[in-house]
Amino acid sequence: MNEKKNIPAGKRLLELARNNAVPIMFIIICAVFIPMAGFSPSYLLNEIVTRMGRNLFLVLCLLFPIMAGMGLNFAMTLGAMGAEIAVILVADWQIWGIPGVVLAMILSIPFSALLGFICGTLQNMAKGREMITSYIINFFINGWYQFIVLYIMGAIVPIIHSSIMLPRGYGIRNTVSLLNMRQCLDDLLAIRVAGVKIPVFTFILVALLCLFIVWFRRTKLGQDMRAVGQDMEVAKAAGINVDRTRIISVVMSTVCAGFGMVIYLQNIGNLPTYTGHSQIGMFCIAALLVGGASVDKAGIGNAFLGVILFHMMFIVAPGAGAFITGDSMVGEYFRVFLSYGVITLALIMYEAKKRMAKSRAGRELAEAQVKKEDA
Amino acid sequence: MKAKTRRILFSLLLVLVLAAVAAVMMVIGRGHTVYFDNKTLEDYQGQEYKAFEKVIVTVKDEQVAKLAKRDRGMSIWIGQNFKMILEVTREKGGESEIHEIDLKLPYSVDGIVINLPALLAGLPEEAWYSEFVPAVTEEPEEEVPGAGDEFGLGLEGELGLEDGLGDI
Repeated sequence: MNEKKNIPAGKRLLELARNNAVPIMFIIICAVFIPMAGFSPSYLLNEIVTRMGRNLFLVLCLLFPIMAGMGLNFAMTLGAMGAEIAVILVADWQIWGIPGVVLAMILSIPFSALLGFICGTLQNMAKGREMITSYIINFFINGWYQFIVLYIMGAIVPIIHSSIMLPRGYGIRNTVSLLNMRQCLDDLLAIRVAGVKIPVFTFILVALLCLFIVWFRRTKLGQDMRAVGQDMEVAKAAGINVDRTRIISVVMSTVCAGFGMVIYLQNIGNLPTYTGHSQIGMFCIAALLVGGASVDKAGIGNAFLGVILFHMMFIVAPGAGAFITGDSMVGEYFRVFLSYGVITLALIMYEAKKRMAKSRAGRELAEAQVKKEDA
Repeated sequence: MKAKTRRILFSLLLVLVLAAVAAVMMVIGRGHTVYFDNKTLEDYQGQEYKAFEKVIVTVKDEQVAKLAKRDRGMSIWIGQNFKMILEVTREKGGESEIHEIDLKLPYSVDGIVINLPALLAGLPEEAWYSEFVPAVTEEPEEEVPGAGDEFGLGLEGELGLEDGLGDI
C-alpha cells in the first residue's frame, strides 16, 4: 500500500493509461467521430440505450468462463444457436408476446446446456488452449445447427407453417419473422425521458443477472471458480473438482447466452436463421474488451462501459466515414476492422503484460539473490 | 448420500416447475388472427342476414377496424378468450348500438373468420365461424442457404459486415 503511495503521480497516471489503453483509445475515437457524424444527442442516447438493452445480457454471460480462467468464451455462440432453435419452434407454434419469449427461454435451456456441456468437456481436453478450442467448436456445432435447421426441421421435426418453411417442404427460411413478439420485453414498463425510450423491464433483467453474478462470486461454487481461474493445480490440491467447475462455468455461460439471444431477437423482431448467431460471439467479446477487460479479468463495469463505447463507435463510424471520404461504406469497413482489431490488440497487450510481469518477477528474484550473496 | 438425494430432488423439482411454466405459456400465449367480415350471409336455412351499414370494432380499447358493407378487418389476439366491442349502425342514418362480445377461440386454429351479421343475429357457430385459409401462391424456389462455393464466398456478408445481422 505504502509502496503505491511512493510512486510519483505522473508514473501512476502512465500506469493507469497503460492499463486502460483500449477504453481510452475508444473514448478518443468516439470523441472525434461524434461531431463528424452530426447526430443529435437524443438520437445517440436513444440508440445507445436500445443497444444496451439488446446486448448487455449477452456480454455479461462472458464473465463466468473468465472467472474460471477459461478466457473469452467464443462458444457463447452455441447458446445463441440453442436459443435460435427454440425461437423457431415457438414461432411455428404461434406463441406470441411475452409468453413466447418466456417459452423460448425455457426451451433454449436444454439445447444450450447440452452444447455447453459438450464444449466444456472438449475444453477440458485442451487446457491452456480454451479460446481457440471454443472458437473452432463454434464451426463444428454450426455445421450441426445448419444440418438440423436445413434438413431435420420440417422433415423429422414437424414444422406446420409455410411462412417459416422453405418452399421445397423442409428446412427453415432464411428469415423468420418475429413480428408478434417484437420488442414485447422492451415495451413492458418502458418509459420515455426527453424523447429517449428506456426499456425498463429489459434493464431489470440485466440488473438481475448482475446481482446474480455478484451473489454467485460469493458462493462456494463461485469461490471454487475463482480458485480454478487463479491456479488449477493449487485448486486441485485444495480438493476442488477442477474439470467439473470449468464445465459448469461454460454451461452457465451458454445458458445465459441463450437467454441473451432471445432478448436480442425480440428486440430485432426477426431471426436471420443461418447468420444470426455467427458474429454474436465476436461482437460481444469485442465489446467486453473495449470496456477494459482482459482474457483473465473482467467485471460488470467492463461490460457496461464496453457496450456503450463499442456501440457508440458502431453508430457514429458510418456517418464519420461519410464526412471524411464522402462514402459511408468506408465507415462500415472502418467499424468492422476496428472491432476485429481491438480483439487482436487486447490479446497482444495481455500477452505482452504477462511477459513483462514474468520478466520483472525474474529480475527481482535475481536481484534478491545477488543481495543475499553480497550479504 | 442424503445431500446427493436432496440435490437430485431439487433438480427434478426445478425441471417440473420449468415444464409447468412452459405449459402455461403455451396456453396463454397462443396467438390467433381474428378476421371480421361485414358481409351478407345468404341463404342460411332459407334466410338472408344483411351486412350492416357500418361496424366499428374495438379490441383492448383500441379501434382495430371500421367496416363498411362487404369489408373485412382483422386483429391479433393472444389467448383463447377473445373480447371485442362492436359499434353497429344497421342502416344509413340509423342509431348505432354497442355490443360486447366474448368468444372462445379454438386453440389449434391460427386464423378465424367471423361473420358479424350472423354472429349478432345469434345464429349457431357454424353460421358465423370459419377457418381462414391463406391463398396458396406459387413461390419461386428460394435459394437454399449454404449453397455456393465451399467457403461461402459471394453469398452474404462478403466482408463480414455484420454478416447479414442488419444490426447488432
